[in-house]
Amino acid sequence: MNYIDDLVTLLPELILAALVLVIIATDLFLSRPNKWILTPLTVGGLILAGAACVVVWDINETVYSGFYIVDDLSVFLKAATIVIGILSALFAPGYLAVRRIPLGEFNMILVTALIGMCVLASSSDLITLFLGLELMTMPSYLLTGLHKTDRYSNEGGLKYFLLGSFASAILLFGIAWVYGLTGTTNVAEIAAALTGQMSPALLVAIGFLTVGATFKIAAVPFHYWTPDAYQGAPTPITGFLSVGPKLGAFALLIRVFAEAFEPLRADWLAIFVVLTVLTMTLGNVVAMTQLNVKRMLAYSSIAHTGYIMVGIAAFANTSDPEVAAQGIESVLFYVLGYAVMNIAAFAVVGMLQRDTTRFGGLNSFAGLASRAPMRAAAMAILMLSLTGIPPTVGFFAKLYVLLAAVEAGLAWLAVIVVLNAALAAFYYLRVIVYMYMRDPEPDPAPLESSGFGSLALGLSVAGVLALGIFPGAILTLVEVSAASLF
Amino acid sequence: MDGLPILTLIVFSPLIGALALLLVPGHNHRAVRWVALAAALASLGFSLALLGYDPAGAEFQFREDLPWIEAFGMRYTLGVDGLSAVLVLLTTLLSVVAMFYSWDPIKTRVKEYYVTLLLLMVGMLGVFVSLDLFLFYVFWEISLIPMYLVIGIWGGPRRVYATVKFVIYTLVGSLLMLVAILAVAIAQAGAGNPFTFSYEVLRQFAYTDAIQAFGFIAFFLAFAIKVPMWPLHTWLPDAHVEAPTAGSILLAGVLLKLGGYGFLRFAIPLLPDAAVSFAPIIIGLAVIAILYGALVAMVQPDMKKLVAYSSVSHMGFVMLGAFVFNQQGLQGAAFTMISHGITTGALFLLVGIIYEQTHDRQIAHMGGLNARLPHFAAMFGLFTFASIGLPGLSGFVGEFLVILGAFAYNGYVAAATMLVVIASAVYMLWMFQRVFFTVPSDWMRQWWPALRDINRNEWIALSPLIVLVVALGVYPGPVLELLAAPVDRIIEAVNGAGLTAFGPWR
Repeated sequence: MNYIDDLVTLLPELILAALVLVIIATDLFLSRPNKWILTPLTVGGLILAGAACVVVWDINETVYSGFYIVDDLSVFLKAATIVIGILSALFAPGYLAVRRIPLGEFNMILVTALIGMCVLASSSDLITLFLGLELMTMPSYLLTGLHKTDRYSNEGGLKYFLLGSFASAILLFGIAWVYGLTGTTNVAEIAAALTGQMSPALLVAIGFLTVGATFKIAAVPFHYWTPDAYQGAPTPITGFLSVGPKLGAFALLIRVFAEAFEPLRADWLAIFVVLTVLTMTLGNVVAMTQLNVKRMLAYSSIAHTGYIMVGIAAFANTSDPEVAAQGIESVLFYVLGYAVMNIAAFAVVGMLQRDTTRFGGLNSFAGLASRAPMRAAAMAILMLSLTGIPPTVGFFAKLYVLLAAVEAGLAWLAVIVVLNAALAAFYYLRVIVYMYMRDPEPDPAPLESSGFGSLALGLSVAGVLALGIFPGAILTLVEVSAASLF
Repeated sequence: MDGLPILTLIVFSPLIGALALLLVPGHNHRAVRWVALAAALASLGFSLALLGYDPAGAEFQFREDLPWIEAFGMRYTLGVDGLSAVLVLLTTLLSVVAMFYSWDPIKTRVKEYYVTLLLLMVGMLGVFVSLDLFLFYVFWEISLIPMYLVIGIWGGPRRVYATVKFVIYTLVGSLLMLVAILAVAIAQAGAGNPFTFSYEVLRQFAYTDAIQAFGFIAFFLAFAIKVPMWPLHTWLPDAHVEAPTAGSILLAGVLLKLGGYGFLRFAIPLLPDAAVSFAPIIIGLAVIAILYGALVAMVQPDMKKLVAYSSVSHMGFVMLGAFVFNQQGLQGAAFTMISHGITTGALFLLVGIIYEQTHDRQIAHMGGLNARLPHFAAMFGLFTFASIGLPGLSGFVGEFLVILGAFAYNGYVAAATMLVVIASAVYMLWMFQRVFFTVPSDWMRQWWPALRDINRNEWIALSPLIVLVVALGVYPGPVLELLAAPVDRIIEAVNGAGLTAFGPWR
């Protein structure tokens, strides 16, 4: 037991923590025209943290008296977290500058949230898990309300904060029940203590945990905070919120349900399947009626939550470890692919909001193809990817989930997924209709373009296509990562 | 595989052309058109190598096989048999025709237009040469989006409605097919075999009745929507009416064939038991489609819509021939696909010529064009007769074989389809008469001085179709010879098949 040596396993988190301090310090000494330096600084720090993930890959050990686990699963999630961080840090400056939102604060809060996500991914104890969750969600509330002079941003932040606090409390209550029933908060020990028997008290615990966790991933019926929080938040931050905390929450789901409650998976499966179907269907149906692209993407993110949950359901519905692993793999792949395409999609919406009175309505996309062909083409590819059309990462992600579901004997669920995907095609393709098949409005929304934003958009689209055509490399990583659960 | 990867060259030369177009300045329409045409011609040139297909040799020739996504056993496997070789040739030819025809009519967003057409070529050609079910699915979906854009951007007034309807219809079917493909692959792997999407492996596995039935229904929906089969055809008239002429040529000429090809290549050989058991229902639907398409075509006021409904009828022949499971029927089905691609492509092209000049396609607005545009009238007449099925032209061979096959299956079915051959003469000839022989309408008289006959570009676009429609009608032997082996394999696959729950039905 050597606490100092174990610090090496925390390298990514430590670098991120140092980055927060560096950002605060640098921000103090930069004059207003030089604030842009913060972006390359943050991105550089994040790349360094990403490199640290390579160092801790393949370590697979539990450290700090069983509170913290550095397995490949957690490292994969940390790497995905850092990808999300880099894209968010690159997309945000242009949008924030127009609205005079301080860049330093944004970067600092963003990186703090990333630390929370990393801790969450690595927690092997419910206490660490809760700590990581709060470290992730507190900055998320702040980010939502970051545009202090905007009413919608304030409203969204407050709603998110109030409902989120309730959900955290409920989750904590669930954790307390689990502790009462098993006498431990350690994930592995809980799993050992729960072999087979089901009791009403345990059902209560599962109920509380499910409510808390599904709130965080924004699954129906606990999704009500999502549209308002997403619409109110500054657009690039919405992009982050739609994937960052979601990735964290899925890490939580995996740790709690796929690990601690693994012996009882037959019991929680039913709840999950029902929630899955409700989540994707409601998300898609409501998204179809939205004329505001930002709000449409918010509802569609609920639908995508549903698709990802199919992977968890596939995990729970089979006794074959290989098939179960495929369920988890599909979750990991989907979360990463979804992160890249959705952050970029929100960023394009943000680029059309240079005029601060624009709210990202479909009209502002009218005729975009003739005004900004490159960005329209990028948005079109992103929309096709979100729909799930090959050769994009969105297609492969959906395929992975379907494969897991069919293999786990949930073919009917796969059919519901594809019918939902067809529904989703309607509203995603509508954006393409506006961009390519309509003439621009008489006073088209001015476009914001920052070098960082264009770079990130190019990277995201390249990633969406590359991972769609040659997903092989990531597939191997995903397989190794999921294997650390079994 | 030795020497050049000829199929890869056929499929991806258009893609290279599309990428090259990105470097060409968009305002230089001339350069854009030449680059696009060069890419399409390259693809056509490479596809001529498929004429070297040896009917006596191995089933799939020009094979290429590379690992792609090894975790799931997905491979980049290409190969053609006689059926796909003919369809590849049809696709490259019609694509070149469509591009050549678009030379003058397309004046807005020219660069985007040609990029889209080239990507459409990639998707269509890929479907015909894929021997990996997953690869096939990827190409199948890739072919969808460019057509969506072609109709939606360069189409008529109600283009957005038409294109969204087209894409949603097709997506529902194809996504269900994706589940079926996964189910089939997983069932095969479940028996202890290595996980693969290889068509040649998967078709040899005996699937359980449940997978046969549900899988076939999913495949059926995907392909029947594409064909399109009554009652899933309603997207087709809308799509055709709104599509630009080149879009219509490719839609009718090739995209509908993707559905027919899907049945012959994938649905029937993979799941023969279900195919045999569901055949009576499908034959029933096909007969309805043949009758319905012909009757609805008779009352269409719009020339393009008339040709679109005649497609429903002709593709009904394809489905009928495919599901009577005898040599004449299946060969007739495949031959009708090719012949229909040529004649309907040409008819849409001809309708496009008059539409470019008058911006109208109402039959009631035409009349007397024979006197003003003799060449146009002659060509329209030729393809009208080919569409009706006049002996000596290509339409006759396919329809005759299908009816022959239908007789072997059931006399009443054959009798019903025979009647429709008369009906098709009615709607086509009646249209021809109203457009070319009656007194010109007052509306048409205002255009009279400005009308021009077929111009040079249009002649170049039409000429290969003219040659083929006659050549295939007079001497269909070589094509039928290419189709013989694939057809025999299908018959072999369905021989003695049937779902146990349905019992033997014949």
